Amino acid sequence: MNNITKMNQEDISSKAVKVKSKWMQRIVNFLMVMGPGLIVMEADNDAGAVSTYMQAGANYGTHLMWVLLLLLPITYFIQEMIVRLGIATGQGHAALIYKRFGKWWGAFSLGDLMIVNFLTIVTEFAAISLALQAFGLEPLYSVPVAALALVTLVLTGSYLRWERTVIILCFMDLAWFCLVYFSSPEWGTVLQHTVVPTLADGPITSDLIFLIIAIVGTTIAPWQLFFQQSCIADKRLRFSDIKTAQMDTFLGACFTILVAAAMMLVGDYSNSFGIKFEDPAQMALAIAPFAGEMFKNAILLLMINAAVLGATAVSLSSAWAWGEVKGWENSLQKSAKEAPSFYATYVLCILAAAGVVLIPDAPLQTIILSVQVLAGLMLPSAIIFLQLLLNDKELLGERFANKRWNNWINWTIVAILFVLSLALAVQVILPDFFNDFGLFTTDG
Amino acid sequence: MTTMTNQVNINSNEDCFYVIHPLDDKHEEKCNPDNLGRMPLSPAVKYSLLSLRIYLIFMVGLVIYRAMQEMGIF
Repeated sequence: MNNITKMNQEDISSKAVKVKSKWMQRIVNFLMVMGPGLIVMEADNDAGAVSTYMQAGANYGTHLMWVLLLLLPITYFIQEMIVRLGIATGQGHAALIYKRFGKWWGAFSLGDLMIVNFLTIVTEFAAISLALQAFGLEPLYSVPVAALALVTLVLTGSYLRWERTVIILCFMDLAWFCLVYFSSPEWGTVLQHTVVPTLADGPITSDLIFLIIAIVGTTIAPWQLFFQQSCIADKRLRFSDIKTAQMDTFLGACFTILVAAAMMLVGDYSNSFGIKFEDPAQMALAIAPFAGEMFKNAILLLMINAAVLGATAVSLSSAWAWGEVKGWENSLQKSAKEAPSFYATYVLCILAAAGVVLIPDAPLQTIILSVQVLAGLMLPSAIIFLQLLLNDKELLGERFANKRWNNWINWTIVAILFVLSLALAVQVILPDFFNDFGLFTTDG
Repeated sequence: MTTMTNQVNINSNEDCFYVIHPLDDKHEEKCNPDNLGRMPLSPAVKYSLLSLRIYLIFMVGLVIYRAMQEMGIF
């Protein structure tokens, strides 16, 4: 449908941007509409993702690159449904679940989201603490400062100011490509392992399966559904923006997968020096004698950037969802005075998570593992609600509801994710389960 | 429907194109669920959702148990 229509001059908003040509109009329009898709995708490359992708590269080289290629359409198809739902209804995901499925299901969905989100934010702060410790900063100072910065980021009373700042943070991830350039990978092998599914040399181990599942789990997360839909509602995207928003989401997915691949290649580079991977901060310190201080600092800063992006997006998804359900003012366009409860929820999420990280001997490793498992467990359930909403023709009509081919693709994705999430949960809860059945061999 | 991009003749000799940011544009009427009530669910869908919920509660309980084991509580 052509969006370009004749309109009287007096109807044009005084804030409209005047351009000379049609193609310029399309570019400016894209720049105005883009944001939610890019942010939701790139924020998913958070601290946990940095750790998972780098570990995959460090332990298995480029052998798991094909998993990323497979995840590109999966992550796009799921978020594309959110784009349609958000633009069609102008409401957040939590609000829709409450309104269409009732309080009982709504409370479960919201409860799941709040628990997993809180634990995810704890992992983001754990990463910030680790990275800044590598720079010599004590967590007692670095964590509160990071929390304050994250609170300040949203308290501007302007959606646009928040969005522009976060987009800049997203583009900082381009630095991963500089690190890849510096590490000079063998591009032929990289390409081969991207398009031809292979596993590492040697036996298939339960650790390898676990890592593949963790890659899937870290690339698609339940908070993304809630975040992007609320973001679209807050930005007030219009019916006519749907194709541009889909493009934003697709480009965001491509960018995210490329950055994930870059993280894997940096992990692979560390392996070439015989460094045993424990976490990204330890790896950055260990690689400094070989690759230089700048390489180390870049990894640490990018780790902080990933954690900040993840923390702001995940906390906002909680605040938006809670606000929608409670019927509070819940917009970044509102000031703290106009939407006190919305901002209080955000601040509470940030401060509580930062507080947990500051507890001496807090079981952070257990929390990180639990986050992966819980997110993996809850994802199929969240996508089923999404799928049911997208088939709600009474609400969406034929125009926005899923077509038959959408449903086939999405039910296939749900089935795959369900099996993987179950395997992930079993693997973490009962580590020897697969070994006991002789399905895989253990590492080492 | 509101428009984001409007082609307007500023003067008779010039074709100009305008782009309006979504936040500055008019509100448009969306698909509103407020008056629709709950979505009708077939018994099969209801029982599937219920089974999924029971499975999730069980699995979350197992995760919590496992986490407590890791922390040395049990």
